[in-house]
Amino acid sequence: MKKRFVALGLALLMAAPVAAFGASVKIGVINSITGPEAPIGENLTNGIKMAQEDLKKKGVNVDLVWEDDTGKPQIAMSAMEKLATRDNVAGVVGPYTSACSNAVAKLAQRYKVPVLIPAAAKEEITRQGYMWVFRMNAPADVYASVLIDAALTAGKPKTIAFIYENTDFGTSTSQSAKAYAQKKGIAIVADESYSKGSPDYRSTLTKIKAKKPDLVFMVSYVADAILLMRQAHEIGLKPQAFLGGGAGFTTVQFAKEKQISNYVLSSTQWTEDVSWPGAHDFGKRYKAKFGKEPTYHAACAYESMMIMAETAAKNAGNREKTRAGLKAGKWNGIMGEVKFADYAGFTNQNNHQMLVEQIQNGVYETVYPKKWATRKLIYPFPGFK
Amino acid sequence: MLVFSQSLISGLLIGGVYALIGIGLTIIFGVMRIINFAHGDIMMIGMYLTYNLFTLAGIDPFVSVAITIPIMFLFGALLQKVFINRVLNALPQNQILLTIGLGLIMSNTMMLIFTSDYQILTTSYSSSSFRLFHISISQPLAISFVITAGITALLYWFFMKTDTGQAIRATAQDRDAAQLMGINVKRMSIIAFGLGSSLAGTAGALISPTYYIFPQIGSTFTLKAFVITVLGGMGSILGATLGGILIGVAESMGAVYISSGWKDVVVFVLFLLVLVFKPSGLLGKSRA
Repeated sequence: MKKRFVALGLALLMAAPVAAFGASVKIGVINSITGPEAPIGENLTNGIKMAQEDLKKKGVNVDLVWEDDTGKPQIAMSAMEKLATRDNVAGVVGPYTSACSNAVAKLAQRYKVPVLIPAAAKEEITRQGYMWVFRMNAPADVYASVLIDAALTAGKPKTIAFIYENTDFGTSTSQSAKAYAQKKGIAIVADESYSKGSPDYRSTLTKIKAKKPDLVFMVSYVADAILLMRQAHEIGLKPQAFLGGGAGFTTVQFAKEKQISNYVLSSTQWTEDVSWPGAHDFGKRYKAKFGKEPTYHAACAYESMMIMAETAAKNAGNREKTRAGLKAGKWNGIMGEVKFADYAGFTNQNNHQMLVEQIQNGVYETVYPKKWATRKLIYPFPGFK
Repeated sequence: MLVFSQSLISGLLIGGVYALIGIGLTIIFGVMRIINFAHGDIMMIGMYLTYNLFTLAGIDPFVSVAITIPIMFLFGALLQKVFINRVLNALPQNQILLTIGLGLIMSNTMMLIFTSDYQILTTSYSSSSFRLFHISISQPLAISFVITAGITALLYWFFMKTDTGQAIRATAQDRDAAQLMGINVKRMSIIAFGLGSSLAGTAGALISPTYYIFPQIGSTFTLKAFVITVLGGMGSILGATLGGILIGVAESMGAVYISSGWKDVVVFVLFLLVLVFKPSGLLGKSRA
């Protein structure tokens, strides 16, 4: 084992000078390449690979140093230390998960390396005044507020029920949703958390049904989202709208289950049919290259890498100048307008406009805000077929 | 009242499937005195079998049980013949290591073949239900409950009335004495492990139309099976049936009257109480 490490070290040492001659800018990537988050991590990897190709076309040669955090914060931290000290990268794009990003943010500040986080939702990450940490996507509170806004423009819901998984992601998303609902004068009639992976949510859903809520807000990952909607169908839960906050409600797999997923509203950072420059083209090229639909993670990662690499190349890999460049810059690409601003307690946060999509006949359609919508929002929920 | 009866019914129905998992584990323990930590993974293999029979061959999950049972029986019998029989007289920790290792190999093999993605089996009736006195009853769960009840009855008859069944019970009671009476205990062990595996596989098949499948799903159910078995009394089939249904109802009631996040706590508190007041389990006989 020790021998192998030595060999690996030697190989790296020999490879390093060669790489330094060939590339004009060196960027680190931390992503969940293996482990439980790998299925989503793959989208980020694909987005970054496409960015690398497009950058080459623009004359920016990017030398990427890939690090796998396996979804664990401590591994993400050692990856960050390696990138900052051994690989001497100009900047870092990643990691994917909130927990990893939060851990890496602290190190970015310590080692003075600009980090651009593409798709982690936890609000706290950019709320700690770290000048070296930038974030592309909108934070968790927007996931909820944009959905409630959409429901409020479409109808007059008075009560809301919450059901969410009892993880960091589930509780923080629903917490901000609860605060926002109260602010808008919607009464919370049920507040149920569940531990994921249970085969039976019928009893919880029955309890919610008895309260007759106008809106049902759910936060869950893929498989549980399908299970929850199936069982809601079974017991005959029929609110004015189902709001799906989070990962499980924005997947192709979920949309394919037409019988149960039709008319469910969900919020997302990006859709393929949005009229942001290059978004549609990105979707087409992505499908041709990888043979599947791009998720918003792919788009976030793509745009993050484009911005990071271009800024770093312009500043010849100087970390301080790259940071200043990110702070001062303004872009308009597949993620719409991007600017890293300080507002409402956030530092270097892109005030990204989130979108609401509704599944209509098995397809995600952008329905809110009106400016970017491609279809009319169907409200109230017409019932299961 | 409606909420109460609804959650009682849901709990009963899901408890039926739990019972099946528990019975499998309890048979294996009863005969071999081995705790099969690969039980959940064997169940996972049953799920994948059902999933592939459905997506590739178009066989309905409830029909494919007829295929799953013999295949899983052979699989279990093979495991027993090749691996478990060798450690029957080994130290308990070695036996545990062996079954854990087998489970890891199974889940990782499935991950290599089918990736770690969640698979969802969608049948035309996956989310359909019917109403009985205003209570909605999940159609697939109701069917699986009926099948479970049938299998349990059949199993009971097998153990009580047939020669092989009695021989297995004799082996469970006293291995050495059974051998002296001319029972081929190695063969009985193979049958017992095969039965246990096919029950776990069947439980996997029955739950797959309403649940989802991924390679690491096994551990959740191993733990559940373990709790059910200990609760009912290790080695007791009736105890495992009762334990499974009890856990199903406790989860369901806990979710409604306390909180869904706390339902596992309800189950484990119940478990602890049984252990404190009746350490041998509800229907278990303590063995000197």
